[in-house]
Amino acid sequence: MDRIPILRMSEFLLVTIQVDMHDRLAMALQEDLTDQIVRHRSHGVLIDISTLEVVDSFIGRMIGNIAGMSRILDAETVVVGMRPAVAITLVELGLSLPGVRTALDVDKGMQLLRTSLHGTSNGAS
Amino acid sequence: MSSPILSLAIRHEHDVVAARQRARQIAALLDFDAQDQTRIATAVSEIARNAFTYAGGGTVEFLVDGKTSPQIFVVRVSDRGPGIADLARVLDGQYQSATGMGLGIMGARRLMDHFSIDSSARGTVVSLKKICPRGASVVAGPRLARIADELGRRKPENPLEEIQQQNQELVRTLEELRARQDDLVRLNSELEDTNRGVVALYAELDEKADHLRRADELKSRFLSNMSHEFRTPLNAIRALTEVLLRRVDGGLTPEQEVEVGYIRKATDQLSELVEDLLDLAKVEAGKISIRPVEFDVTSLFSSLRGMLRPLLVNELVSLVFENPSGLPPLNTDEGKVSQILRNLLSNALKFTERGEVRVSATLASSGDAVVFSVADAGIGIAPDDQDRIFQEFGQLDNPIQRRVRGTGLGLPLSRKLATLLGGSLTVQSEPGVGSTFHATIPLVYTVPEPGVPAVEWEADPLRVPILVVEDSPEEMLVYEKFLKGSGFQVVRAMTTRQARHALVQARPAAVVLDILLRGEDTWTLLADIKSDPATRDIPVLIVSTVDDEAKGMTLGADAYAMKPLERRWLIERLRRLTGRQPVRRVLVIDDDEISRYLVRGYLDDLPCQITEACGGEEGLRRARSDTPDAIFLDLVMPDLSGFEVLERLRAEAATRSTPVVVVTSQPLADAERRRLEALGAAIVSKGADRDSALAHIRSALVGAGLVTPDA
Repeated sequence: MDRIPILRMSEFLLVTIQVDMHDRLAMALQEDLTDQIVRHRSHGVLIDISTLEVVDSFIGRMIGNIAGMSRILDAETVVVGMRPAVAITLVELGLSLPGVRTALDVDKGMQLLRTSLHGTSNGAS
Repeated sequence: MSSPILSLAIRHEHDVVAARQRARQIAALLDFDAQDQTRIATAVSEIARNAFTYAGGGTVEFLVDGKTSPQIFVVRVSDRGPGIADLARVLDGQYQSATGMGLGIMGARRLMDHFSIDSSARGTVVSLKKICPRGASVVAGPRLARIADELGRRKPENPLEEIQQQNQELVRTLEELRARQDDLVRLNSELEDTNRGVVALYAELDEKADHLRRADELKSRFLSNMSHEFRTPLNAIRALTEVLLRRVDGGLTPEQEVEVGYIRKATDQLSELVEDLLDLAKVEAGKISIRPVEFDVTSLFSSLRGMLRPLLVNELVSLVFENPSGLPPLNTDEGKVSQILRNLLSNALKFTERGEVRVSATLASSGDAVVFSVADAGIGIAPDDQDRIFQEFGQLDNPIQRRVRGTGLGLPLSRKLATLLGGSLTVQSEPGVGSTFHATIPLVYTVPEPGVPAVEWEADPLRVPILVVEDSPEEMLVYEKFLKGSGFQVVRAMTTRQARHALVQARPAAVVLDILLRGEDTWTLLADIKSDPATRDIPVLIVSTVDDEAKGMTLGADAYAMKPLERRWLIERLRRLTGRQPVRRVLVIDDDEISRYLVRGYLDDLPCQITEACGGEEGLRRARSDTPDAIFLDLVMPDLSGFEVLERLRAEAATRSTPVVVVTSQPLADAERRRLEALGAAIVSKGADRDSALAHIRSALVGAGLVTPDA
C-alpha cells in the first residue's frame, strides 16, 4: 500500500498530492498527517492539491477532516493550488470545506501560516 | 440510438478512481471544456463510490446518445445491490448520511444536465447525462473508433489493476507450466521404462555375444585337440605302411604293394586334412608365429614349380609362371606365402579341365605390397558363392567338386594366413570363364603389436643358442647356413643394443662377435660381457676384418678369427668352448610297441646302443642300472606319466644330468612345455615323417650335446 509523502519544511509540514487518491489512500493520509503533526510539533500544514483534477465529496470531506483534526492538535491547515474547475465543482456539489483555509500556491500558503502564527509575514520572531 | 464507448467493472476501491479518470478522459475526447470534464468526473466518482460502498461493486458504461449535434454523453452506473431505502427523501435533500451519501447523489444531480435513478431490491441503475458542447462534431463511425483507440492507448493508469492482470496471466502461465511439467514427468517415466528395456536388451546381447565367443573358442580348441588325436594313429599308420613299402619286414606281393599304396595314399589325404585343421586352429588361437626372411619372388616361383609338378597329371592343363621382373625382394614369412600360393594353385589345377593356370606377381599400386595372382580357366564361381568359398568346409556342389575331393579348408586357411601377414586374399570370378585369386602381401612384414622384443628369436629347446652379432644380412645368412644341422641356433643381433637385449633374453651358450658394425664397434660390448658376472662365463669368438687379436684377447675374447670364416673352425671352436660329449647308450621308455619300434628305426643310423623299457617303473630301474647317455621318454604311459618319470630321474644323483628327449604325440600346453624344459628335457614330436623326425632327433641329441654334428 503506497503512501502520500509528508515533507517537513522548517516548522511546517508539506503534503503534495500528486496522484489521484482512492479513498483508503486519503484516509491513510489523514492518519499519517496527524502522527507527523504530533511527532514534529508542527503548527502548520500545507496541502498542495495543484495536480488534482477531481475532488469529489469524499476527498473534500477528508480534507475538511484533516483541517479539523489539525486544529485540535494546534496546527493550522492551508490547502494550496486548488484548480478553479475543482473549486467550482466543490461549490456546485454543495461542499464548503468549513474551517479549511486556502491559498493560491505554496508561497502564499506559507505566508498565510506565518502571519497567523507569528503575526508577521517573514517568519522572524 | 446510443453508441457505446467504454464499459468498466467496479470491483475494488481503485476502480472508483479508474472510473472517474476514464470519465474525464472521455469527456475531454468529446470536446467538453475543463470545467465540465471535472464536473462529469466528480459526478461519476460520487455514483461509482456509492455502487462500490453500498452494493459491493457494479458496472460503469459510457455511451453517446443521438445522431445529430448536439449529442448526449451518457454514463450509466448499475449495481446488483439491495437498493436505496429512502430514495424519495434523499432526492428531496432531506436525507443526510454520516458517510455523505445524500450529498453524493444530490451533488451528482446538480453537476449533470440530467439525472435519473431507478432503485429496487434487485439493484440500482443511475443514469447521468450531459449535453455535448455545441459545435462539437458528431461522434459516430470513425470518430468513435478513434476515441476507443485513444482510450485503449491510455489504458491502465491503475498500477494495481495492471499487477492483478499480470498476476492472473502469471497464474495461467504457471498452470500451463504445471501441465507441461506433468507431461514431461509422464514422458520421462515412459522413457525410463524404455531405457530399462534397452539396457536389459543390451545385457542379453552381451550375453549372446559372450556365448558366441565361447562357442568359437570351444570350436578352435576342439579342432586343435581333435587334430592331435587324429595325428597319433595316422602317424603310426603312415610310418608302418612305409616300413612295409620299404620291405623292411620282407617282400610284398604286387597285389599287396598296391593295397598298401592305397592305404598310404588315403592316410596322406587324411593327414593333409588334419594338418589343415590344425593350422586353422592355430591361426584362430593366434599361435602361429611369423618368421620373416628376405627372399625374392623368382626363387619362390621356381620352388613352387618344382613342388607342384606332381599335381600336373592332366596334359590338357598347363601351369605358367610369369616372369616376375622388377620386383623388390620381400621380407616376410616365405613359408606362409608359399603355403598360400600352393593352396591357390592346387585349387586352380583341380578345377581346370583344360587350358592354363597362370601365376603372376606385380607390385601393388601403393608400392609397398606384392599382388600374387593365380588365374585359372576353370568352372568359375557364381557371385553368390564367392563369400562361401572362404568359409570353413564351404565347398560348392558341382560335378568337378564331387570328383576332386578337398578338405574345404584351403581357402579359409589361405585367407587367414594372408591376413596374418598384413595382406588380403580376394577373388574375381565368372562362372564358365574362370577365376582369378589375388593375394596381396606387404613387402615388409611388420609386427602388428608394438613392444615386441627387438630380437627375432624363438627358443628352440633342441638347439643351443649362439648369439651372432653381425650387421650384414648376408654374413648372417652365412652363419645360419654354417650352423644348420649343427645343433646350434643362431640368435641374430644387428646392433649392440639388440645384442645386449639378446644376452639377457636368449642366454646364449656362446657369442660370435663382429667388431665393426654399422656406425659402432663392439669393443665396449666385449668388455662389458667379460666384466659382468652374469655373462662373464659366456665364451666370445671374435670374427672380424679388424686384425687386432691382441686387443681382443686382452679384453677377454676366447677365440679370434679373420674373415672369411671357415665352417669347420667355427663349429669346432663352438663345440670346444661350449663343451659337449658324444652319445653311447640310449634308453627308450615307451609303453607303445609301435612307438618304440619307430624310435628304434629313427636311431638305427646313429652310432649308439639302444635299450628299451615298456613302462615308467621299468624305465627308472634301467636308467639306474644302465646309466644311459640319453633317454627317450614317452609322456603317456599306464603306470607312470613321463612327467613323473622325468621328475624322479632328476631326483636321483645318477641320472640327474642325463639328457632326456621327450617324444610326444600329444599337443603340449605351454605350461607342460615349460615344465619339461625346466626339467632339462628336449622335446620331439612323433608327428613328423621319418626324415624330419630323424632330423629332429639328431638335432635334439646334438642340442643335448650327445652327438657331434658331423656324426
